[in-house]
Amino acid sequence: MSLARRLVFGSNPSRTAIRILVLAVVSVIAFRWVLLPVRTEGISMLPNYASGRVTLINRLAFLRHGPSRGDIVAIRLAGPHVVYVKRVIGLPGERLKIVGGQVYIDGVPLGEPYVKYRGPWDVPEVTLTSTEYYVIGDNRGMRASDHSFGRVNAERILGRLLF
Amino acid sequence: MAAVCLVVAWQRWTTSEERAIRTRLLGLASDLNGPDAGAASLLRAARFGDYFTDDVVVELGEGSPPIIGRATLVGMAARLERRTTAARLKFDDIDVRLRDDRTAADVGLTASFMREDGTGGDAVDAREFALQLVKRDGQWRVARAAAVAALR
Repeated sequence: MSLARRLVFGSNPSRTAIRILVLAVVSVIAFRWVLLPVRTEGISMLPNYASGRVTLINRLAFLRHGPSRGDIVAIRLAGPHVVYVKRVIGLPGERLKIVGGQVYIDGVPLGEPYVKYRGPWDVPEVTLTSTEYYVIGDNRGMRASDHSFGRVNAERILGRLLF
Repeated sequence: MAAVCLVVAWQRWTTSEERAIRTRLLGLASDLNGPDAGAASLLRAARFGDYFTDDVVVELGEGSPPIIGRATLVGMAARLERRTTAARLKFDDIDVRLRDDRTAADVGLTASFMREDGTGGDAVDAREFALQLVKRDGQWRVARAAAVAALR
């Protein structure tokens, strides 16, 4: 076997073929069901996620426990191909309100070091049910009416963003 | 062998209607994203109304009154188009469920609206919609479209 063929196919071509097949199957499973690649669009997660950034959704992140406060999660719409990327700020059972841009959880101000732009948003108090989380983007400098945020059912949360 | 043939025929029959609905919806998006001036634009406007039933109802969600009737919808779309020529519409995750009589279907999809945000990038708004389509005069037409609130 020539050196070129040996470099491409290895010393045992059938074994190389099996390795390629296994790699392909593992890649398909990983990137279709476990680590979903997403490209963020829009400005609602600025400055932490700029428009056009590519990242992965870990769909196994919440198998054993639900999301924690501060997690950045993907929320499905009709399916998994277009998702909202938001930060979890309210957990099931909590009371949440926003006054002048400051988030209060059960009456206590929430520290949010990740928020760099903050407008004077006001949201009346809501009480989350046992299956609801409150999610919001990091860019609070935009108009609240242009920003999708609020209560979401746990079953819509696809997973946590890896990075 | 006959059973296999029946199953294959049934599957093909099912998928052909589903495919027709998907093609119809993608055609709607394509027509909305088409050229913005000239004869093509006029043709597109004429075609747009054809995607809906006369008594179509479009519910955009809390705070927006429902749009009732094809004429109203076409008029609104024409007025909106003049202000949003840079906007593009895309449908993803189209899930078609045919009803038993096969002349109506429930469809779920995500509609993404992309427009130039003035900074060189695309600003995106995405909404989930639940549609009801009916087959009239041999064509699938949208009879009802309602926005589904993923975040409340």
